[in-house]
Amino acid sequence: MGGRGRGRGNAVSFNIEQLGFGRGEAGPVSVTQPPPLFPSLENRPLPLIKDVENEYILVTQKDLSTRMRNSPFYLKKSENPSYEKELPVLWNRMPAELRETLPKRIATGNSKVTLNAKKKKVEDPDKIFAKLEKKERNESEVEEDGDGKEDEDDQDKSDDEKVENEDDVKEDLDDEMDDDTDYANNYFENGEAYLEDEEGQDDGEAQF
Amino acid sequence: MEKLSAKSDPIYLGEAIVKKALAVMIQHNLVKFQASERNNNVAEYSMMHHNVYCLIRYPKYLYMIKRIYGTSEEILLEILLNLGQASASNVIFHSANRLNEANDSEVLSPSALHQSFQRLAQDNFIIRCPKLAENATLLKVPTLEIEEKEKFAVPNVEIEPIARMLKEKATQLGGHCDSEIIWRVNHERFDIELRNVILVNAAARRVDTTAGELYHLILKLWRESSNPDSPATTPVSYNVIKDAVRKNDSSPILLEHFDHYLRVLHEDSAGLIDKPGDAGGGQFNLDYSKVFENLACASLDSIVLERFGSKALRLFRLTRIQKFMEQDQMQNVAMIPAKEAKMFTYKLLEHNFLQIKELKKGTSNFAPVKSFILYHVDLPQVVRTVLEASYKGLFNAMVRQMHDLTENKRLLEKHAMLESMLERLKGDDGVPEEEIAELSDTMHPAEKSLVEKIHLMSDNLTLGQTQADETILILESYLKFKSKEL
Repeated sequence: MGGRGRGRGNAVSFNIEQLGFGRGEAGPVSVTQPPPLFPSLENRPLPLIKDVENEYILVTQKDLSTRMRNSPFYLKKSENPSYEKELPVLWNRMPAELRETLPKRIATGNSKVTLNAKKKKVEDPDKIFAKLEKKERNESEVEEDGDGKEDEDDQDKSDDEKVENEDDVKEDLDDEMDDDTDYANNYFENGEAYLEDEEGQDDGEAQF
Repeated sequence: MEKLSAKSDPIYLGEAIVKKALAVMIQHNLVKFQASERNNNVAEYSMMHHNVYCLIRYPKYLYMIKRIYGTSEEILLEILLNLGQASASNVIFHSANRLNEANDSEVLSPSALHQSFQRLAQDNFIIRCPKLAENATLLKVPTLEIEEKEKFAVPNVEIEPIARMLKEKATQLGGHCDSEIIWRVNHERFDIELRNVILVNAAARRVDTTAGELYHLILKLWRESSNPDSPATTPVSYNVIKDAVRKNDSSPILLEHFDHYLRVLHEDSAGLIDKPGDAGGGQFNLDYSKVFENLACASLDSIVLERFGSKALRLFRLTRIQKFMEQDQMQNVAMIPAKEAKMFTYKLLEHNFLQIKELKKGTSNFAPVKSFILYHVDLPQVVRTVLEASYKGLFNAMVRQMHDLTENKRLLEKHAMLESMLERLKGDDGVPEEEIAELSDTMHPAEKSLVEKIHLMSDNLTLGQTQADETILILESYLKFKSKEL
C-alpha cells in the first residue's frame, strides 16, 4: 500500500488499462456463489445425425441388450446357488475357487448344524423355558431376546462352518492372515450377516 | 489388480453372486485372472478397461461386418458377442439356429457358415483365446497360453454332428471335436477398422466418393504390409497401387483418373497420404500421428465453433497455427474488435482451450515489472480436457437413459405385453375387429404417447452416445499416436 513500494512508491505494479477496463467502467462482477450445476446453454447443439448406419445401430443396440438381459448371463439376486450347471460359462478355464459353490458347504455344514442344534436344544430345555417365560413377562424385551437366541444359533452355525472351512480352505485363510487384512476376521465374526443375506438388499438394480 | 479378498465383502452381495459375476465377466473378456505371486492357488483378478468400454461399440462392429461381408458373418459375430467366448462349432450351431428362426425358407448349411467363420478368422476379426497349458487341470488357477501362429488358425470342424443336431432341433450342441479351441472377438482389429472408416470418410468428404474408394484400397495395401503398432505405415509404391486398382473391381472413373485422385489426396492438407520418396513411381505412406492430429484439431475446431461462436473459432485457430500470440496481435490479425476479442480470449482461457505463457521482461528492480503474456494452444492438454468432457457426456447420456427406462419400467413392460398380444391376435384371422380395438383401448392414449416419448428420448440418447464415442475414438487415437512418435 502507501509507503511500501520502492523508488517512487506510488505506482502499482500493473496498469489499469492492461486489465482491459477503461477508467470509468466498473470492475469485474464479484462471484458470490459457486457456478450453477447446469449452466444454461447459449447455443443449441447441432441435431443428431440420423442416417442408415445410425438406424441400424439403434435397432441392434436394443436387440443386443434385450438378448443379454434374457440370457442366463444376466444375474438376478434370488438365483438358486447351485449354478455350475446353469451358467453357460467355460468352467475348466476358470480358477477353481470360482467353481466352488456355497451350497455344497452349507449342505454338509447344515447336517452338522442340525445335529448340534438338536443336541443343544435337547440338552437345554430349561434354558429355553426360562427364556420363554422372560418373553411373556417383558414384551418390550422380546426383540432383544429373540436376537440373542438367533445370535447363539448363528454362532453355532458359523462355528461349524469355520471348522469345515478350515479343512477346505486352510491355505487361503492363512494367506489372508499373512497379508494383514481383516477381511478373513470380519467375514466370520458377525453371525447376523449369515441370515441377513437374503433380506431385501435394496441396491435398486437398474434394468433396461 | 484387485485381490480376491475384495470378494469377501458379503454385506452387499452374497459370495455366490460375486463368484458368478466374476465368472460371467471372465467369460465375456472383461476381467482376466492370473495366479498370485505369493501363492499359486489364489487368483488375482484385474479389469480390462478397454474391453469394457468397447461394449458400447458392439452395434458398430456388427454394422461394419454386415457391410464388409454379409448376413451370415454378421450373425456369427452376434452369436460370438452374446456368448463371450465359444468354440467354432458352438458358434456355427447357434448361428444356424438363429438364421433358421428368422428365415424359414432358406436353410443355411453349416458348411457355408464354416466358410464364413474362416473368412472372419482370416481377416483377424476373431481371435483364438489362449488354451489351457498341459498340467493346467491340476492347478487351482489354470495357466493359459497361446503361440503367435495359432492365433487365427481355424481348426477342422466336423459338420456332420452339427447338421444332425440342427435337424433334431436341439438347443445345445453336445461334445464336439474342437471344444477346447475357443474364439473371441478381436477388439484391436475392430478399432483399426473403425479408424479406417473415419479416414475413408474424411477422404470422401474432402474430395469425393471415388477418392474414398481409392483410399480404402490403399489402406488395405498398407495394412497388409505394415506393422499395426508403428506410428506410420511402410511405403507402398505407385505401381503396386495401380495394380491393385486394376485387379480390384473398381468403378471406371477411378480407373481412368486414378493418377489425379492420388495426386489430389497427396496434396490435400489433411495429410491423408504422404510421399516420402520417388522410387517406383512414387512411394506413398500414411503418417498416423499427422493425420490424427489434423482430425483432432478439426474436432476441437467444431467444438469451439458450436460452443462459443465463429469469432472465438477464428481466435482459436489463429493461436493454434501461429503457436504463440499476444493479445493485441490476436485482435489485429483476426480482425475482431478489441473488446470482443478480449471477451472471447478470456472465455477460451476459462474453459482451458487456450493456455497462457508469461515471459518476464524485468530489467531494473525499481521500475514495475513488465511481462509479456502469450497465448498458445497446448494441443495434448486441450485434447485431454475435451476427452474428459466427452467421457462425462457419454456417461451422463447413459445414466439418464437408464434412469428413464427404470422409472417407467412398469409402463414400458405393459406396453410391450400389449404389443405382443396384438401381434398374436392379428396373426389369427378369426378374431373380430372389435376385440382388437378393445384390447388396444386398455391403454390410455396419454399413456401411449408417453411410451412414444420415452422411446424417442431413449433413441436420441443412444445416438448421442454413439456420436460421443466417435469423438472419443478420434481424440484417443491422436493421444495414442502422439505418445508413440516419441
